[in-house]
Amino acid sequence: MENKNPLSPHIQIYSWHISSLVSIGHRITGVINIFILTLIFLWLGSLLLGEKNYEIIFNFFNSFLGKFFIIATIWSFTFHSLSELRHLFWDMGYGFDLKTANLTGSLVIIFSIIFTVLIYLIGRIVI
Amino acid sequence: MVQISLPQNSKIQKGKYYKDKTGSKNLRKVNIYRWDPSTGENPRVDTYEVDMDNCPSKVLDLLNKIKNEIDPSIAYRRSCAHGVCGSCAMNMDGKNGLACTKPHAEIKGDINIYPLPHLKVLKDLIGDLSTLYKQYESVEPWLKNTSNKSDKENIQSKEDRAKLDGLYECIMCACCSTSCPSYWWNGDKYLGPAVLLQAYRWIIDSRDEDRKERLKKVADELKLYRCHTIMNCTNACPKGLNPAKAIASIKKMLATS
Repeated sequence: MENKNPLSPHIQIYSWHISSLVSIGHRITGVINIFILTLIFLWLGSLLLGEKNYEIIFNFFNSFLGKFFIIATIWSFTFHSLSELRHLFWDMGYGFDLKTANLTGSLVIIFSIIFTVLIYLIGRIVI
Repeated sequence: MVQISLPQNSKIQKGKYYKDKTGSKNLRKVNIYRWDPSTGENPRVDTYEVDMDNCPSKVLDLLNKIKNEIDPSIAYRRSCAHGVCGSCAMNMDGKNGLACTKPHAEIKGDINIYPLPHLKVLKDLIGDLSTLYKQYESVEPWLKNTSNKSDKENIQSKEDRAKLDGLYECIMCACCSTSCPSYWWNGDKYLGPAVLLQAYRWIIDSRDEDRKERLKKVADELKLYRCHTIMNCTNACPKGLNPAKAIASIKKMLATS
């Protein structure tokens, strides 16, 4: 017999912790990264087709939207990498203490932002 | 399957408002999830104004006060009132915990009380935990030892006994399992933090001779590996235990054995 009783509220009422935020962030950036990588390779491939394509891409990256895209990409990759590093330590059995886990979670968020700024600025200087 | 929104029959409606009758100056609003199986109506959230000058410190005291003095129809589980039995597990201020050990002074603003998340509601704050108990049974939570035929104690070294610390204290209140998003979406297959912590408690027991079988049984894409270390379980545990670590220890044992 099917249970017709109501389901108690879950994600609607549950408060967020740093650990759950970083966890869902890890998944979302992971999916985004796959799309971005595909896009980058498509662009690289399109360069083979001639000079015109290069100009289109060049203009895009110099536009406001293009810069937003670059910064978002850098953040997505740094966040995912740092969070993955945290996961690797967990897999070895370290960092499960609640205080440690909250600290490393905050560090992932803070350093993903710092690294994004640094990588973007270094990139501007070099290129 | 991931279903973010609540089903049609579970959508929460506006409930009744119980105004204070004591004339107290120190009032707090308490919002409580209500569902009566006899009416066929959707669940609702009732609001009670409670006189805090004459209310002891814990959320359970608050519920008792409402039940005794304002609305006797409200249903919730409770027994020991000292954080030992695990009956009064519920969601308070967006976090799972035991009502008898959670001080209401820790909650800012209105006090929101819901049943444990993502369970079939039996009445008001009482959720149906029968799936969890079935899963608990499936890990065979008892000592399996056939070689020890003596009628004396089964001796365990101090070091081996210490491995059970942080595991044996679990009171199966289900705060952890019902805080876990993975358990929300896959609760029928994924065993969840409470049951996996119990499974590990028997896997790591030096007196148990069924370790290999236990590990084999739990090593399953859905039963075990739906844990993505979200750590809501460890954040929720009212006894300060660490189910996430216990699950990781099982994974590590499987990876290194």
